[in-house]
Amino acid sequence: MSGHGTLSRPDTEVRLGGRGRAVRLGVTAVCALLVVAGTLVGQDDDFPFGPFRMYSTTDDISAPVASTRLEAIDTTGRRFRLSDGMTGMRRAEIEGQMSRFRADPALLGGLAEAYDDRNADRPPLARIEIIIRHFDLDAGRPTGRYTDTLDTGWDAS
Amino acid sequence: MRLFDAVPLGRLAAFRTLVYLFVPIDLLLTTNWVLQHKDVPGDLYLPLLLGRVLPLPTPTYALTVGIFAALLVASVVAATGRAPRLLGTAVFLLYLEWMVIAMSYGKVDHDRFGFLVALAVLPTVGRARWGDLTRSEAAGWALRATQFAVVATYFFAAWAKLRFGGLDWLTGATLTRAVLRRGTFLSDWVVDYPGLLVGFQFFIVAFELTSPVVLFLAYRWQQRAIGALYAFHLMTYAAITISFLPHCVAMASFLPLEKVRPLVWLSRYRAADPAPPAAART
Repeated sequence: MSGHGTLSRPDTEVRLGGRGRAVRLGVTAVCALLVVAGTLVGQDDDFPFGPFRMYSTTDDISAPVASTRLEAIDTTGRRFRLSDGMTGMRRAEIEGQMSRFRADPALLGGLAEAYDDRNADRPPLARIEIIIRHFDLDAGRPTGRYTDTLDTGWDAS
Repeated sequence: MRLFDAVPLGRLAAFRTLVYLFVPIDLLLTTNWVLQHKDVPGDLYLPLLLGRVLPLPTPTYALTVGIFAALLVASVVAATGRAPRLLGTAVFLLYLEWMVIAMSYGKVDHDRFGFLVALAVLPTVGRARWGDLTRSEAAGWALRATQFAVVATYFFAAWAKLRFGGLDWLTGATLTRAVLRRGTFLSDWVVDYPGLLVGFQFFIVAFELTSPVVLFLAYRWQQRAIGALYAFHLMTYAAITISFLPHCVAMASFLPLEKVRPLVWLSRYRAADPAPPAAART
């Protein structure tokens, strides 16, 4: 498949027909319009044409920075940090569904199930907590202080 | 800068191989968390508009692992250049479903618009051999469309910052927050210099808003600008371990890839070897 230049014809040009050009021009224009519309009024839901909003929110220079984590207690009473790899769900995804977890903490039970499936050799989970750590900022500079708050908890019944 | 400027088919062939070989790397390394959704219960699946309209099924263990395996095989075969239209279309559709599985659990990433456009347009070109210098308008459009998508990612990212963050984004603590949450030993010190981070926020918006200029630059300056963009992503990775790697692969659509001939170099190297093992045996 590599070819060694025997078929190369640098002086020749394979051109597109009128229809080929028209279709490509149309597709390019439609996609451009979708990207503009997505950026103007779209949301993440409109992927892949939603707004490119990575790091697009403004954070107050002196408001505390929040960092979310999951902690779990297993049936032996051991408490540990529940990492992304233990459940299959990423931290940012937990944050993205935070309002659902608050409204219905039983959804955390699904994460306990996922943990038990993925860690069959370990004791099952008795409790999961969503904990938010607020790093204190002073004029944009971390003061070294932080506070941890329990946001939502779920107990296996 | 024209939409249908012809480029060597060899450039398209090399870009196609790069894009399709990146798919297994993406599956196994850079976004290996997607496969981990196989164990997440269906009630945590919040399908994107795309997933609701089509409508795509709620991912199960079997579906997620099945798409993963099919995509792995299809992309590796497609990287050889065989059946470019059929395999290219299959890889595009499988990857799109893979993205729905990736982004439907509460977080949408924005690092691969250019890569998705590359996967969408590559099957339109048909046969293209490595090293072929024959120029083709179809290949030119495919690479140009990918370049548009790469540049659009920067330009519209600045627009989104102004829409969601407002002008205050420039002087806010967004980068401080990013480093506090994802910083590395290379970047943790900068949080003590908020002025530096605010300055960098101005720089980011300025370069994103002016990025379309790259499309109109003369060749030599365009190559330098692309080099600078790769350096920016390397620095971002060192500072907050976010790689935008699929975007960086798509950005290779700007490079003269027809000159990259690993198989030819290998055979020349072998031919130049004074005592190749095969010859010694005869």
